[in-house]
This record gives sequence, C-alpha cells and structure tokens, in this order.
Amino acid sequence: MKIFLLVLTGLLSSCSNESGPPLVATDLELTAAMPGTSTSAAYLTLTNNSDELIRITKVSSPQYGLIEIHESTVEGDIARMRQVSELEINPHQSVRLQRGGIHLMMMQPMANIENVTLNLYDGKLLLMSMRTKPAVAGN
Amino acid sequence: MSPRNLILAIVLGTVMAVGIWAAINLQRTKAQPMTATVLNAGPEIAAFSLLDHDANSIDASVFKGQWDLVFFGFTNCPDICPITLQILSAAKRQLSESGQSPLPRIVFVSVDPARDTTDTMAQYVNAFGAGNLGITGDIEELRKLTSGIGIYFEKHDGDDESYSVDHSAVVILIDPDGRLHSLFGTPHAIENFVHDLPLLMKPWT
Repeated sequence: MKIFLLVLTGLLSSCSNESGPPLVATDLELTAAMPGTSTSAAYLTLTNNSDELIRITKVSSPQYGLIEIHESTVEGDIARMRQVSELEINPHQSVRLQRGGIHLMMMQPMANIENVTLNLYDGKLLLMSMRTKPAVAGN
Repeated sequence: MSPRNLILAIVLGTVMAVGIWAAINLQRTKAQPMTATVLNAGPEIAAFSLLDHDANSIDASVFKGQWDLVFFGFTNCPDICPITLQILSAAKRQLSESGQSPLPRIVFVSVDPARDTTDTMAQYVNAFGAGNLGITGDIEELRKLTSGIGIYFEKHDGDDESYSVDHSAVVILIDPDGRLHSLFGTPHAIENFVHDLPLLMKPWT
C-alpha cells in the first residue's frame, strides 16, 4: 500500500545557478498512512550538484502539519526510530532515504491529499520545492 | 573374483555409498529450519488480561488452539512495523497457495497502547488480511505478556505527536499449547518464513 510520487517539478530558483539546481530529488515514494493511523513515510534520493556541503535542517509541506527527518535502525533485534536534526549531503554526492533507514516522517496530513509538495530548507534558505503527483499502487 | 569384477564391484560400491550419503545429507538439509531458532519446551505464555481488536477481553488462552506468528510494534511506526507485517502476510499467502496446512494466525501486539486503541488496531490488522489478531490494552498487563518471553519495549521521549517506541523486532511462533516454540531474528524475509514454517508447524494433537 503505497503512493508513488511520480513527478518532480518546480525547483525554486533561489539557490540555482546557471549549471542547474544545486539539489535534485529523484525516485520519490510516499507510503500511504495505514488504516487507523495518520503517519506515513517518504523516501527519495537527494543529489547535491553543488560544490558546497548541503545540510537539510527542515522539511515542510502544505499538505502535512508536521514533517520530521527520522532514522529507523534494527540492531541486536531491537527496532528504534530517532529524529535526525540534519541531513548532510556532500558536494556531488547523493543520499538515499530508504526503507529501514532514514526517511521523512509525514504527520498530520490534510484530508484528501492529491498532490504533495515538499520544501527542504538549509537554515533559512529554501533549497528546493517539489511538486508531485501521487498515484496509488498495490501492496 | 577376477580383478576386473573386483574393480567393478569397488566402483559400484563407492557410487552407492556416495549416493546414500548424499541422499541422507540432502534430506537433513531440507529438514532443518533456515532462520528460526527452535526452543525446546519454551515458556508458556504468562497470565495477562488485554483486549483484542474487537475490544473483547482476552487472556493467555487466546494463544491456544492454533499456531500464532506474533510481532510486537506500534501503528505509528511508518517503516519497520508495516514492512514486517507485509512480509508475514506475503509469506502466509504463499504458504496457503502451496497448500500448507496448518497456516499460522498473524498476531500484532501493540507496544504503544496509549495511542493504539482497539478501533485503531482493528483497522490496522485488517489492512494486512483477514483472520489477523490485534492486541492492545493496559500497559502493565502488556508487560506481563512480554516479560515472560523476552520481548523488550520502551517509550522513547519525544513530543506528544511523534514519540517513538523502541521494541524487539523478532517474530515469535507460539504453538497450539500456548508455548513459545521458536523465534525469527532480523532481518526478516518472506522466503525465510516460507521455508521454515512448514518444518515448524506440525499438526497438533
């Protein structure tokens, strides 16, 4: 049960340069909240195309009241989930947010979400915005 | 016996011996669980009083009469818990399609009863298929259930909305007498359960 985020558009230009946007997101996937719950997870690959270290410190969305960066781990057969204060992406490197690891914890969803926009911040500076078109896939 | 017949007899004997050895070892390999740790006379589930997902009062006898595949987690866990339950559901579906009998019941026990009401549990466990059982209720009663079988859980402080609960990620198999039979450690995979469960879940008399 998951919603795949299909389209990535609308990179805001505040940090862009002539060679292209400094941060690009690909392979987006947003799991639907399980019945009876209001939390879900989003996974994506973030690529830093710039020469500077990028630190994602905040993620927001008009469609969700609260989004946090979390990391799930299983060590010694104990499952834990912790909030991550920032996500570092080295110059010209990619970071994959994936199942069983770092993910975006999507909370307080609005009703009847059809499109999801994610805003990623590096300090006060808005790095990018993603407009997505969800589609429902099977289990 | 001529030298030629003697050589032939030795060759035939060697071939037969190798064949028998291979057959015995192949059978032994097939008959062994690949992942599960099997306990000898595991502990009986301790007495407790909790609620099933239909808000019925239940006690330890709920684990008697069928094989139960049990996972402990919480519904606000967006990642490991639904993935594990999807693995168990897929394994059960594959076993059913292959004609396995008996099949296990999938049981999800909440380690976050403050947020996981019976209504929440009903919607959650039913999303993974029919016949599943959800258990929640008083946290002290929950500890009676978990402590006797070595299941750990502890709330991790966070804000009211997003606190998490650390918990054991093992899947346990309870036999129809209500005893801990075996456990599956992490990482979980569909093929591990499909391989091992038919070896573990013998018909029960």
